[in-house]
Amino acid sequence: MEWLIFGILAFWLLVSALGAILVRSPVHSILFFLSGVLAMAALFLSLGAELLAGLQLIIYAVAIVVFYVLVITTIPWEKVKRFEGVYRKEMLLGFPVVVLVFLLISYLVLKGSLAMPVGASTDNVRDLGKTLFTSYLFPFEVASVILLVAMIGAILLGRKEE
Amino acid sequence: MSIEKAYILLSILVFLIGLLGVIARKNLITILVSTEIMLNGVNLTLVTVDKYLGKVDGQVFALFVLTVAAAEVAVGLGLIVSIFRLKGYEGSSEIVHLRD
Repeated sequence: MEWLIFGILAFWLLVSALGAILVRSPVHSILFFLSGVLAMAALFLSLGAELLAGLQLIIYAVAIVVFYVLVITTIPWEKVKRFEGVYRKEMLLGFPVVVLVFLLISYLVLKGSLAMPVGASTDNVRDLGKTLFTSYLFPFEVASVILLVAMIGAILLGRKEE
Repeated sequence: MSIEKAYILLSILVFLIGLLGVIARKNLITILVSTEIMLNGVNLTLVTVDKYLGKVDGQVFALFVLTVAAAEVAVGLGLIVSIFRLKGYEGSSEIVHLRD
């Protein structure tokens, strides 16, 4: 049963990712990416990370994808038409390299052994909150500063030049 | 082959598909989408290893990756819009000012 769920979700995710990089139009590419985000949230749920699945849906599927579509609508369509699709030569040269790297890393993964489980956390959200606000309190604050700086930078970049 | 290894192989595949997109796509916006696919692959690895260690630290790291990805998208799309407004570029092969 676990394998069946994993197989369905993995197939869905791979088809979405391949569609996002192979389809011609940028809008269709973003829609494929949205479908991949949904599959990824379902995979997080099947791994027992409920809070991350919810945040993935809220942040990626709602905020980021809408932002991409908004930016695409600001750019005139005939300009976009000239840069659809992929560079043929780079694709043909990059594909064997990617396959080779995958074979090497998968050999390592299948040959090696993973660490043994020590104990399952039952209440995911409570454990994550405890860990985040005790061990990782300083990185949390740094992340808030990073978000503030990014917000100021985006505002400065998007201003009209006088 | 246990199922956690299958999860890790899937995340490697997703990461490499995103890398291929960054290498081969023409449009700047699609290159950013491919970077997001790569970040998703990394998140899947973190959560998988996390589940089979029985800890929560990997999910905290995945949360930070999500946060920084949101910030990166805001800044990156702002850069793309300002490049387009100043020069009218839309593809990655037109930006050669630093090279020439």
